[in-house]
Amino acid sequence: MSMTAGLGFKLEHLDEALTARNPGLWFEVHAENYMVDGGPRLRALVALAERFPISLHGVGLSLASVEPPAPEHLRRLRALTDRIRPAAVSDHLAWQKWEGAHHSDFLPFPRTRQALDITAGNVSRVQDALGRAIMVENPSLYVDLPGHEMDEATFLAELARRTGCGLLVDVNNIYVSASNLRFSAEARVDAIPAEIVGEIHLAGHRPDPDPASGLLIDSHDAPISDPVWLLYERLIGRTGVRPTLIERDDDIPPFPELMLERDRAHRLLAERESVDA
Amino acid sequence: MLEAADFQQAFGAMLAAPDTVADSAIRRALTIHRNTASKAARDALFANFPVVAALVGEDAFAACASSYVDAVPPAEARLCLYGDRFAAFVDAWAAFAEAPYLGAVGSVERLVVEALFAADAPLLDPAVLANGIDPEAVLQRHPASRTAKTLAPAASLWLAHQPDAPEDALESIVWQPELILVTRPEDAIEVRVIDVPTRAFLAGTTLVDAAERAAGEGGDVAEIFASLLGAGAFAAQDQQGELQ
Repeated sequence: MSMTAGLGFKLEHLDEALTARNPGLWFEVHAENYMVDGGPRLRALVALAERFPISLHGVGLSLASVEPPAPEHLRRLRALTDRIRPAAVSDHLAWQKWEGAHHSDFLPFPRTRQALDITAGNVSRVQDALGRAIMVENPSLYVDLPGHEMDEATFLAELARRTGCGLLVDVNNIYVSASNLRFSAEARVDAIPAEIVGEIHLAGHRPDPDPASGLLIDSHDAPISDPVWLLYERLIGRTGVRPTLIERDDDIPPFPELMLERDRAHRLLAERESVDA
Repeated sequence: MLEAADFQQAFGAMLAAPDTVADSAIRRALTIHRNTASKAARDALFANFPVVAALVGEDAFAACASSYVDAVPPAEARLCLYGDRFAAFVDAWAAFAEAPYLGAVGSVERLVVEALFAADAPLLDPAVLANGIDPEAVLQRHPASRTAKTLAPAASLWLAHQPDAPEDALESIVWQPELILVTRPEDAIEVRVIDVPTRAFLAGTTLVDAAERAAGEGGDVAEIFASLLGAGAFAAQDQQGELQ
């Protein structure tokens, strides 16, 4: 069976992951955690990659930065893709670099035609360095910046048309952004060009600890919420079966508990497959 | 239209000081982005300096780590390697003045991180002791091997906080400077306290040079070499004595 629902791989789950036999299972890792010279963690990923498809999810390419990705970063990512032979490589529609510092979150920007040129240039640089297409993920947004010349769905579709990249659709990020910026999550999901969606992310969120803001925060530390599951069904109703990740990066529960959420996504995809067939 | 470069410059400056921004919606968004990034960097310090964290407690460590993140933010996305100056920062952190050994423990933890992610290389096989080794061949340190000297018994403190430490490990520590060897034989990190002759042996470029240095410090050369081979301090050699 091809890739259905996958899990973010955590080193403490290595033994359980290696012995899991759930159909369609795959794993995703943050690429940067393994862009190292050697050692046991890299060997653990190599062992995992011998049994399961792996998706390398970057959190550091800073694709929307005016400063292009560092050659050393690209060299290390290429070395990792050569070694792991991942099923997919992805990163975010955001920027992270400022005055020599790396900001470990995904910063927003006005979606101008110039920003599209910059981002397309960076995506092309990455794809040239890797010798393969990548996927670009929609981020969580917390403020409606002035100066946009196009909406996010249009920006991403145009980015894909220019560079040949695919889309990684994070349904939780759409839900969080729609709630924070007061637009329709359903309309945003319906605006996604289904044919270029290569992967889907599902994660949990939390209300801002400052209740005055009324914002939701993309925290990856909670189970996936019911409205996000509903949006997900709406999305795969249009895209058909796509590899779907259960993304959990904090307050990580035991492996079997994560696998229950994974199996829920797997069942929805299996139902979808039977409808399409 | 605001140029992308100007926007990123202005946004970055606001991110460094969100409280100075008048617009409340932008201020809160900046604060959320700043909190998310700071938490990721702080979590990386907790992961990379667990013994310092255990020694001072979670809250005290978080305060020091947050200040470090502001002072020395990550320069790149590989947070698994973050914290190369944290030991010195801990050493200078006023709230830890009563525990002057913390910086030394931090420096051991930094060596452990370096060793954990260093390049792979076959170990020099202890069978060379029986089969013979060219005494003039270059003795190549394994890429994961690190040595240090600390003024406090930092390696002993580190060892006392490992899961397999004996119950009386902390009480039995002798308060003295330590020479430390960190290695990665197989998949696990090993930290050990070494003596002066062993440190002298490790400074040798060839086996004959190493032996002379260790003997000069009064060491038992055969015993030292066997011990270091067991620790995984050396990489295998090819015919040219090069790292394989």
